[in-house]
Amino acid sequence: MSQIYLYSYDWSVVPRSFEFLARGLGVTMRLTVLSVLFSLVLGLIVALVRMVPGPLGLIGFLYVQVFRALSLYVYILFIYFGIAAAFQINFDPITAGVISLTLLNSAYMAEIYRSAIEAVDPGQREAARSLGLGSIATFATVTFPQAWRVALPSLVNQFTDIIKDSSIVAVIGTPDLMYQTIERVSFYQRPFEFYTTVAGIYLVMVLIVAQLAWRLEKRLRRHLA
Amino acid sequence: MTILASYNFDWSVVTDRWRLFVAGAWIDLWVAIIGFSLACAIGLANALLRTSGLPFLSIPSFLYVQLMRGVPLYVLLLWVYFGVANIMGIAFTNFQAIVIALALTGSGYTTEIFRAGLGAIERGQMEAARSIGLSRVRTYGHVILPQALRIVVPPLGNTFVGLLKGATIMAVIAVHDMVFLANELNVTLFTPFEVFTAVAVLLVVMVLFFSAVVYVLERRLRIA
Repeated sequence: MSQIYLYSYDWSVVPRSFEFLARGLGVTMRLTVLSVLFSLVLGLIVALVRMVPGPLGLIGFLYVQVFRALSLYVYILFIYFGIAAAFQINFDPITAGVISLTLLNSAYMAEIYRSAIEAVDPGQREAARSLGLGSIATFATVTFPQAWRVALPSLVNQFTDIIKDSSIVAVIGTPDLMYQTIERVSFYQRPFEFYTTVAGIYLVMVLIVAQLAWRLEKRLRRHLA
Repeated sequence: MTILASYNFDWSVVTDRWRLFVAGAWIDLWVAIIGFSLACAIGLANALLRTSGLPFLSIPSFLYVQLMRGVPLYVLLLWVYFGVANIMGIAFTNFQAIVIALALTGSGYTTEIFRAGLGAIERGQMEAARSIGLSRVRTYGHVILPQALRIVVPPLGNTFVGLLKGATIMAVIAVHDMVFLANELNVTLFTPFEVFTAVAVLLVVMVLFFSAVVYVLERRLRIA
Protein backbone atom coordinates (compact mmCIF):
# COMPACT_ATOMS: atom_id res chain seq x y z
CA MET A 1 0.00 0.00 0.00
CA SER A 2 2.78 2.41 0.90
CA GLN A 3 4.62 1.59 -2.27
CA ILE A 4 5.64 4.79 -4.01
CA TYR A 5 5.10 4.88 -7.70
CA LEU A 6 7.52 7.03 -9.62
CA TYR A 7 6.76 8.16 -13.10
CA SER A 8 9.33 10.04 -15.11
CA TYR A 9 7.72 12.35 -17.59
CA ASP A 10 9.15 12.62 -21.04
CA TRP A 11 7.53 15.51 -22.87
CA SER A 12 10.16 15.47 -25.61
CA VAL A 13 8.10 12.86 -27.45
CA VAL A 14 5.54 15.55 -28.24
CA PRO A 15 7.76 17.92 -30.26
CA ARG A 16 9.29 14.87 -31.91
CA SER A 17 5.81 13.97 -33.17
CA PHE A 18 5.07 17.48 -34.37
CA GLU A 19 4.82 16.49 -38.02
CA PHE A 20 2.22 13.76 -37.34
CA LEU A 21 0.13 15.93 -35.06
CA ALA A 22 0.20 18.84 -37.53
CA ARG A 23 -0.95 16.56 -40.32
CA GLY A 24 -3.73 15.22 -38.10
CA LEU A 25 -4.75 18.73 -37.14
CA GLY A 26 -5.08 19.58 -40.82
CA VAL A 27 -7.45 16.65 -41.36
CA THR A 28 -9.47 17.60 -38.25
CA MET A 29 -9.85 21.16 -39.52
CA ARG A 30 -10.87 20.07 -43.00
CA LEU A 31 -13.38 17.63 -41.55
CA THR A 32 -14.84 20.23 -39.20
CA VAL A 33 -15.08 23.04 -41.73
CA LEU A 34 -16.74 20.80 -44.34
CA SER A 35 -19.21 19.49 -41.76
CA VAL A 36 -19.99 23.01 -40.54
CA LEU A 37 -20.69 24.24 -44.08
CA PHE A 38 -22.86 21.24 -45.00
CA SER A 39 -24.82 21.33 -41.75
CA LEU A 40 -25.40 25.10 -42.07
CA VAL A 41 -27.07 24.50 -45.44
CA LEU A 42 -28.86 21.25 -44.60
CA GLY A 43 -29.98 22.66 -41.24
CA LEU A 44 -31.65 25.61 -42.95
CA ILE A 45 -33.43 23.34 -45.42
CA VAL A 46 -34.64 21.09 -42.58
CA ALA A 47 -35.82 24.13 -40.59
CA LEU A 48 -37.84 25.38 -43.57
CA VAL A 49 -39.32 21.94 -44.21
CA ARG A 50 -40.17 21.64 -40.52
CA MET A 51 -42.11 24.90 -40.63
CA VAL A 52 -44.33 23.80 -43.52
CA PRO A 53 -47.73 22.73 -42.13
CA GLY A 54 -48.88 19.19 -42.88
CA PRO A 55 -47.03 15.92 -43.56
CA LEU A 56 -43.90 17.65 -44.88
CA GLY A 57 -43.54 19.49 -41.59
CA LEU A 58 -43.95 16.21 -39.75
CA ILE A 59 -41.05 14.74 -41.72
CA GLY A 60 -38.92 17.73 -40.72
CA PHE A 61 -39.97 17.25 -37.10
CA LEU A 62 -39.07 13.54 -37.18
CA TYR A 63 -35.74 14.31 -38.85
CA VAL A 64 -34.84 16.66 -36.01
CA GLN A 65 -36.00 14.32 -33.24
CA VAL A 66 -34.37 11.16 -34.58
CA PHE A 67 -31.15 12.62 -35.96
CA ARG A 68 -30.49 14.53 -32.76
CA ALA A 69 -30.96 11.42 -30.65
CA LEU A 70 -27.99 9.46 -31.98
CA SER A 71 -24.42 9.78 -30.81
CA LEU A 72 -21.68 10.42 -33.33
CA TYR A 73 -20.04 7.09 -32.49
CA VAL A 74 -23.22 5.19 -33.40
CA TYR A 75 -23.61 7.29 -36.57
CA ILE A 76 -20.12 6.48 -37.71
CA LEU A 77 -20.44 2.74 -37.12
CA PHE A 78 -23.85 2.68 -38.77
CA ILE A 79 -22.75 4.60 -41.85
CA TYR A 80 -19.22 3.30 -42.28
CA PHE A 81 -20.08 -0.37 -41.65
CA GLY A 82 -23.86 -0.77 -41.80
CA ILE A 83 -24.90 1.36 -44.77
CA ALA A 84 -21.69 0.57 -46.61
CA ALA A 85 -22.30 -3.19 -46.44
CA ALA A 86 -26.05 -3.21 -47.00
CA PHE A 87 -26.06 -0.82 -49.96
CA GLN A 88 -22.63 -1.65 -51.36
CA ILE A 89 -21.35 1.90 -51.04
CA ASN A 90 -17.76 2.23 -50.01
CA PHE A 91 -17.26 5.45 -48.10
CA ASP A 92 -13.76 6.55 -47.35
CA PRO A 93 -13.36 7.35 -43.65
CA ILE A 94 -13.37 11.13 -44.15
CA THR A 95 -16.60 11.05 -46.16
CA ALA A 96 -18.24 8.83 -43.55
CA GLY A 97 -17.11 11.30 -40.87
CA VAL A 98 -18.44 14.34 -42.72
CA ILE A 99 -21.79 12.64 -43.41
CA SER A 100 -22.14 11.63 -39.76
CA LEU A 101 -21.22 15.05 -38.41
CA THR A 102 -23.53 16.73 -40.93
CA LEU A 103 -26.57 14.56 -40.15
CA LEU A 104 -26.19 15.05 -36.40
CA ASN A 105 -25.49 18.77 -36.45
CA SER A 106 -27.95 19.71 -39.17
CA ALA A 107 -30.67 18.52 -36.79
CA TYR A 108 -29.33 20.79 -34.03
CA MET A 109 -28.88 23.70 -36.41
CA ALA A 110 -32.40 23.27 -37.80
CA GLU A 111 -33.75 23.99 -34.32
CA ILE A 112 -31.51 27.05 -33.97
CA TYR A 113 -32.70 28.41 -37.33
CA ARG A 114 -36.34 27.66 -36.54
CA SER A 115 -36.36 29.50 -33.23
CA ALA A 116 -34.53 32.44 -34.87
CA ILE A 117 -36.99 32.60 -37.77
CA GLU A 118 -39.92 32.40 -35.35
CA ALA A 119 -38.38 35.23 -33.34
CA VAL A 120 -38.70 37.65 -36.27
CA ASP A 121 -41.75 39.88 -35.77
CA PRO A 122 -44.56 38.62 -38.06
CA GLY A 123 -45.30 42.26 -38.91
CA GLN A 124 -42.06 42.34 -40.91
CA ARG A 125 -43.26 39.58 -43.18
CA GLU A 126 -46.74 41.03 -43.48
CA ALA A 127 -45.35 44.45 -44.39
CA ALA A 128 -43.07 42.96 -47.04
CA ARG A 129 -45.91 40.92 -48.51
CA SER A 130 -48.23 43.91 -48.60
CA LEU A 131 -45.54 45.85 -50.49
CA GLY A 132 -45.91 43.21 -53.18
CA LEU A 133 -42.85 41.05 -52.51
CA GLY A 134 -43.31 37.36 -53.28
CA SER A 135 -42.98 34.85 -50.44
CA ILE A 136 -39.50 33.80 -51.57
CA ALA A 137 -38.30 37.39 -51.92
CA THR A 138 -39.79 38.19 -48.51
CA PHE A 139 -37.95 35.33 -46.88
CA ALA A 140 -34.66 36.01 -48.64
CA THR A 141 -34.55 39.78 -48.22
CA VAL A 142 -36.57 40.45 -45.08
CA THR A 143 -37.07 37.49 -42.75
CA PHE A 144 -33.84 35.56 -43.21
CA PRO A 145 -31.36 38.46 -42.83
CA GLN A 146 -32.96 39.29 -39.48
CA ALA A 147 -33.17 35.67 -38.33
CA TRP A 148 -29.55 35.12 -39.33
CA ARG A 149 -28.36 37.77 -36.87
CA VAL A 150 -30.20 36.02 -34.06
CA ALA A 151 -29.04 32.54 -35.05
CA LEU A 152 -25.38 33.21 -35.81
CA PRO A 153 -23.88 33.09 -32.28
CA SER A 154 -25.67 29.80 -31.51
CA LEU A 155 -24.62 28.38 -34.86
CA VAL A 156 -21.01 29.26 -34.14
CA ASN A 157 -21.34 27.61 -30.73
CA GLN A 158 -22.47 24.48 -32.52
CA PHE A 159 -19.15 24.67 -34.33
CA THR A 160 -17.40 23.92 -31.01
CA ASP A 161 -19.41 20.72 -30.63
CA ILE A 162 -18.42 19.67 -34.14
CA ILE A 163 -14.74 20.19 -33.32
CA LYS A 164 -15.04 18.04 -30.21
CA ASP A 165 -17.18 15.33 -31.77
CA SER A 166 -14.88 15.09 -34.78
CA SER A 167 -12.31 13.31 -32.58
CA ILE A 168 -14.52 10.20 -32.70
CA VAL A 169 -13.88 9.67 -36.44
CA ALA A 170 -10.51 8.26 -35.37
CA VAL A 171 -12.24 4.96 -34.54
CA ILE A 172 -12.64 4.16 -38.24
CA GLY A 173 -9.09 5.14 -39.06
CA THR A 174 -9.59 8.67 -40.35
CA PRO A 175 -6.09 10.15 -39.96
CA ASP A 176 -7.27 13.12 -37.88
CA LEU A 177 -5.60 14.66 -34.83
CA MET A 178 -6.97 12.01 -32.47
CA TYR A 179 -5.96 9.12 -34.71
CA GLN A 180 -2.42 10.44 -35.08
CA THR A 181 -2.25 10.86 -31.31
CA ILE A 182 -3.36 7.28 -30.65
CA GLU A 183 -0.74 6.09 -33.17
CA ARG A 184 2.00 8.07 -31.44
CA VAL A 185 0.87 6.77 -28.06
CA SER A 186 1.32 3.20 -29.18
CA PHE A 187 4.66 4.08 -30.75
CA TYR A 188 6.19 5.85 -27.73
CA GLN A 189 4.05 4.33 -24.93
CA ARG A 190 3.52 7.80 -23.50
CA PRO A 191 -0.26 8.12 -23.08
CA PHE A 192 -0.23 10.85 -20.44
CA GLU A 193 2.01 13.24 -22.34
CA PHE A 194 0.18 12.80 -25.63
CA TYR A 195 -3.39 12.84 -24.38
CA THR A 196 -2.68 15.89 -22.25
CA THR A 197 -1.22 17.67 -25.27
CA VAL A 198 -4.08 16.75 -27.55
CA ALA A 199 -6.61 17.80 -24.91
CA GLY A 200 -4.85 21.17 -24.89
CA ILE A 201 -5.02 21.46 -28.68
CA TYR A 202 -8.76 20.72 -28.78
CA LEU A 203 -9.29 23.10 -25.88
CA VAL A 204 -7.52 25.94 -27.71
CA MET A 205 -9.57 25.36 -30.87
CA VAL A 206 -12.82 25.31 -28.90
CA LEU A 207 -11.91 28.44 -26.94
CA ILE A 208 -11.02 30.34 -30.11
CA VAL A 209 -14.34 29.49 -31.72
CA ALA A 210 -16.28 30.19 -28.51
CA GLN A 211 -14.56 33.58 -28.27
CA LEU A 212 -15.59 34.25 -31.86
CA ALA A 213 -19.21 33.42 -31.01
CA TRP A 214 -19.10 35.75 -28.03
CA ARG A 215 -17.68 38.63 -30.09
CA LEU A 216 -20.23 38.08 -32.84
CA GLU A 217 -23.02 38.15 -30.30
CA LYS A 218 -21.82 41.45 -28.88
CA ARG A 219 -21.37 42.93 -32.34
CA LEU A 220 -24.75 41.82 -33.61
CA ARG A 221 -26.50 43.20 -30.55
CA ARG A 222 -24.80 46.57 -30.77
CA HIS A 223 -27.83 48.20 -32.37
CA LEU A 224 -30.05 46.97 -29.56
CA ALA A 225 -28.03 48.57 -26.81
CA MET B 1 -13.82 -3.33 -60.21
CA THR B 2 -14.72 -5.94 -57.70
CA ILE B 3 -18.18 -7.31 -57.87
CA LEU B 4 -19.67 -7.51 -54.42
CA ALA B 5 -22.16 -10.17 -53.56
CA SER B 6 -25.49 -8.63 -52.67
CA TYR B 7 -26.14 -8.23 -48.97
CA ASN B 8 -28.48 -10.75 -47.38
CA PHE B 9 -30.44 -9.14 -44.61
CA ASP B 10 -30.69 -11.46 -41.65
CA TRP B 11 -32.58 -9.86 -38.82
CA SER B 12 -32.59 -13.05 -36.77
CA VAL B 13 -29.07 -12.06 -35.69
CA VAL B 14 -30.72 -9.29 -33.70
CA THR B 15 -34.06 -10.87 -32.81
CA ASP B 16 -32.43 -14.05 -31.46
CA ARG B 17 -30.22 -11.96 -29.20
CA TRP B 18 -32.57 -9.18 -28.17
CA ARG B 19 -31.93 -9.89 -24.51
CA LEU B 20 -28.21 -9.26 -25.01
CA PHE B 21 -28.94 -5.98 -26.77
CA VAL B 22 -31.26 -4.85 -23.99
CA ALA B 23 -28.67 -5.86 -21.38
CA GLY B 24 -26.08 -3.82 -23.31
CA ALA B 25 -28.39 -0.83 -23.49
CA TRP B 26 -28.95 -1.15 -19.75
CA ILE B 27 -25.19 -0.79 -19.19
CA ASP B 28 -25.14 2.43 -21.23
CA LEU B 29 -28.05 3.74 -19.20
CA TRP B 30 -26.57 2.68 -15.88
CA VAL B 31 -23.17 4.26 -16.62
CA ALA B 32 -24.92 7.46 -17.73
CA ILE B 33 -26.93 7.54 -14.49
CA ILE B 34 -23.86 7.13 -12.26
CA GLY B 35 -21.82 9.61 -14.30
CA PHE B 36 -24.67 12.10 -14.22
CA SER B 37 -25.15 11.78 -10.45
CA LEU B 38 -21.47 12.48 -9.86
CA ALA B 39 -21.59 15.34 -12.37
CA CYS B 40 -24.47 16.90 -10.41
CA ALA B 41 -22.61 16.63 -7.11
CA ILE B 42 -19.41 18.14 -8.55
CA GLY B 43 -21.40 20.76 -10.45
CA LEU B 44 -23.31 21.95 -7.41
CA ALA B 45 -20.17 22.20 -5.27
CA ASN B 46 -18.39 24.00 -8.08
CA ALA B 47 -21.27 26.43 -8.64
CA LEU B 48 -21.21 27.34 -4.94
CA LEU B 49 -17.48 28.07 -5.23
CA ARG B 50 -18.14 30.07 -8.38
CA THR B 51 -20.81 32.23 -6.73
CA SER B 52 -18.87 32.59 -3.47
CA GLY B 53 -17.55 36.00 -4.49
CA LEU B 54 -14.05 34.96 -3.40
CA PRO B 55 -11.65 35.16 -6.36
CA PHE B 56 -9.35 32.37 -5.11
CA LEU B 57 -12.36 30.03 -5.22
CA SER B 58 -14.31 31.37 -8.17
CA ILE B 59 -11.43 31.68 -10.66
CA PRO B 60 -10.31 28.01 -10.43
CA SER B 61 -13.95 27.03 -10.70
CA PHE B 62 -14.34 29.12 -13.86
CA LEU B 63 -11.19 27.61 -15.39
CA TYR B 64 -12.42 24.13 -14.53
CA VAL B 65 -15.64 24.73 -16.47
CA GLN B 66 -13.79 26.02 -19.53
CA LEU B 67 -11.45 23.05 -19.43
CA MET B 68 -14.11 20.38 -19.05
CA ARG B 69 -16.33 21.85 -21.74
CA GLY B 70 -13.46 22.31 -24.16
CA VAL B 71 -12.00 18.81 -24.17
CA PRO B 72 -13.74 16.07 -26.21
CA LEU B 73 -15.16 13.18 -24.19
CA TYR B 74 -13.16 10.68 -26.24
CA VAL B 75 -9.88 12.45 -25.41
CA LEU B 76 -10.87 12.71 -21.76
CA LEU B 77 -11.73 9.02 -21.64
CA LEU B 78 -8.39 7.88 -23.05
CA TRP B 79 -6.60 10.43 -20.86
CA VAL B 80 -8.22 8.98 -17.72
CA TYR B 81 -7.99 5.34 -18.75
CA PHE B 82 -4.47 5.27 -20.17
CA GLY B 83 -2.80 8.57 -19.25
CA VAL B 84 -3.67 9.06 -15.60
CA ALA B 85 -3.45 5.35 -14.91
CA ASN B 86 0.08 5.42 -16.27
CA ILE B 87 1.45 8.31 -14.20
CA MET B 88 -0.35 7.46 -10.97
CA GLY B 89 0.25 3.74 -11.12
CA ILE B 90 -3.43 3.04 -10.51
CA ALA B 91 -5.32 0.97 -13.01
CA PHE B 92 -8.90 2.12 -13.30
CA THR B 93 -11.24 -0.53 -14.56
CA ASN B 94 -12.75 0.43 -17.91
CA PHE B 95 -16.09 0.86 -16.15
CA GLN B 96 -14.59 3.34 -13.67
CA ALA B 97 -12.83 5.20 -16.48
CA ILE B 98 -16.00 5.90 -18.46
CA VAL B 99 -17.88 6.93 -15.30
CA ILE B 100 -15.09 9.35 -14.35
CA ALA B 101 -14.87 10.76 -17.88
CA LEU B 102 -18.64 11.31 -18.04
CA ALA B 103 -18.66 12.87 -14.57
CA LEU B 104 -15.88 15.29 -15.55
CA THR B 105 -17.43 16.35 -18.88
CA GLY B 106 -20.88 16.52 -17.36
CA SER B 107 -19.73 18.62 -14.40
CA GLY B 108 -18.59 21.35 -16.81
CA TYR B 109 -22.19 21.69 -17.96
CA THR B 110 -23.90 21.13 -14.61
CA THR B 111 -21.76 23.82 -12.94
CA GLU B 112 -23.07 26.39 -15.40
CA ILE B 113 -26.64 25.19 -14.91
CA PHE B 114 -26.46 25.39 -11.12
CA ARG B 115 -24.75 28.76 -11.33
CA ALA B 116 -27.54 30.13 -13.51
CA GLY B 117 -30.15 28.56 -11.22
CA LEU B 118 -28.63 30.06 -8.07
CA GLY B 119 -28.18 33.40 -9.82
CA ALA B 120 -31.84 33.49 -10.78
CA ILE B 121 -32.97 33.56 -7.16
CA GLU B 122 -33.76 37.09 -6.13
CA ARG B 123 -31.32 38.69 -3.66
CA GLY B 124 -34.21 39.60 -1.40
CA GLN B 125 -34.78 35.92 -0.64
CA MET B 126 -31.33 35.61 0.86
CA GLU B 127 -31.62 38.88 2.72
CA ALA B 128 -35.04 38.03 4.13
CA ALA B 129 -33.93 34.58 5.30
CA ARG B 130 -30.80 36.00 6.89
CA SER B 131 -32.66 38.79 8.61
CA ILE B 132 -35.12 36.40 10.27
CA GLY B 133 -32.11 34.69 11.77
CA LEU B 134 -31.37 31.72 9.50
CA SER B 135 -27.70 30.83 9.20
CA ARG B 136 -26.04 30.92 5.77
CA VAL B 137 -26.11 27.13 5.51
CA ARG B 138 -29.80 26.95 6.50
CA THR B 139 -30.64 29.75 4.09
CA TYR B 140 -29.13 27.74 1.27
CA GLY B 141 -30.74 24.49 2.41
CA HIS B 142 -34.24 25.77 3.08
CA VAL B 143 -34.65 28.83 0.90
CA ILE B 144 -32.25 29.13 -2.03
CA LEU B 145 -31.71 25.53 -3.20
CA PRO B 146 -35.38 24.46 -3.20
CA GLN B 147 -36.20 27.39 -5.48
CA ALA B 148 -33.15 26.93 -7.66
CA LEU B 149 -34.06 23.26 -8.13
CA ARG B 150 -37.18 24.14 -10.10
CA ILE B 151 -35.08 26.13 -12.52
CA VAL B 152 -32.26 23.64 -12.95
CA VAL B 153 -34.21 20.42 -13.46
CA PRO B 154 -35.04 20.82 -17.20
CA PRO B 155 -31.50 21.78 -18.33
CA LEU B 156 -30.05 19.06 -16.09
CA GLY B 157 -32.33 16.60 -17.85
CA ASN B 158 -30.90 17.72 -21.17
CA THR B 159 -27.39 17.22 -19.81
CA PHE B 160 -28.36 13.70 -18.78
CA VAL B 161 -29.56 12.97 -22.32
CA GLY B 162 -26.25 14.30 -23.66
CA LEU B 163 -24.30 12.06 -21.28
CA LEU B 164 -26.40 9.05 -22.27
CA LYS B 165 -25.44 9.65 -25.89
CA GLY B 166 -21.83 10.18 -24.89
CA ALA B 167 -21.81 6.97 -22.84
CA THR B 168 -21.93 4.87 -26.03
CA ILE B 169 -18.25 5.70 -26.59
CA MET B 170 -17.39 3.27 -23.75
CA ALA B 171 -17.15 0.45 -26.29
CA VAL B 172 -13.73 1.79 -27.39
CA ILE B 173 -12.28 0.76 -24.03
CA ALA B 174 -14.15 -2.55 -24.18
CA VAL B 175 -16.92 -2.03 -21.66
CA HIS B 176 -19.50 -4.60 -22.73
CA ASP B 177 -22.33 -2.25 -23.67
CA MET B 178 -24.67 -2.53 -26.64
CA VAL B 179 -22.21 -0.98 -29.10
CA PHE B 180 -19.50 -3.39 -28.00
CA LEU B 181 -21.91 -6.28 -28.56
CA ALA B 182 -22.76 -4.94 -32.03
CA ASN B 183 -19.06 -4.62 -32.89
CA GLU B 184 -18.44 -8.21 -31.79
CA LEU B 185 -21.36 -9.55 -33.79
CA ASN B 186 -20.29 -7.54 -36.81
CA VAL B 187 -16.83 -9.06 -36.69
CA THR B 188 -17.95 -12.64 -36.14
CA LEU B 189 -21.13 -12.82 -38.25
CA PHE B 190 -20.64 -9.89 -40.66
CA THR B 191 -24.09 -8.38 -40.22
CA PRO B 192 -23.20 -4.71 -39.76
CA PHE B 193 -26.47 -3.25 -40.99
CA GLU B 194 -28.70 -5.28 -38.68
CA VAL B 195 -26.64 -4.92 -35.52
CA PHE B 196 -25.91 -1.20 -35.87
CA THR B 197 -29.54 -0.52 -36.77
CA ALA B 198 -30.52 -2.30 -33.56
CA VAL B 199 -28.10 -0.13 -31.57
CA ALA B 200 -29.34 3.05 -33.26
CA VAL B 201 -32.98 2.16 -32.57
CA LEU B 202 -32.27 1.38 -28.90
CA LEU B 203 -30.41 4.66 -28.47
CA VAL B 204 -33.12 6.70 -30.20
CA VAL B 205 -35.80 5.08 -28.03
CA MET B 206 -33.89 5.79 -24.81
CA VAL B 207 -33.04 9.36 -25.78
CA LEU B 208 -36.56 10.20 -26.94
CA PHE B 209 -38.02 8.69 -23.78
CA PHE B 210 -35.85 10.83 -21.52
CA SER B 211 -36.35 13.90 -23.72
CA ALA B 212 -40.11 13.42 -23.30
CA VAL B 213 -39.68 13.15 -19.53
CA VAL B 214 -37.67 16.39 -19.55
CA TYR B 215 -40.36 18.08 -21.64
CA VAL B 216 -43.11 17.04 -19.19
CA LEU B 217 -41.04 18.13 -16.17
CA GLU B 218 -40.33 21.45 -17.84
CA ARG B 219 -44.04 22.16 -18.22
CA ARG B 220 -44.85 21.00 -14.70
CA LEU B 221 -42.12 23.04 -13.01
CA ARG B 222 -42.71 26.24 -14.90
CA ILE B 223 -43.54 28.96 -12.41
CA ALA B 224 -46.83 30.44 -13.53
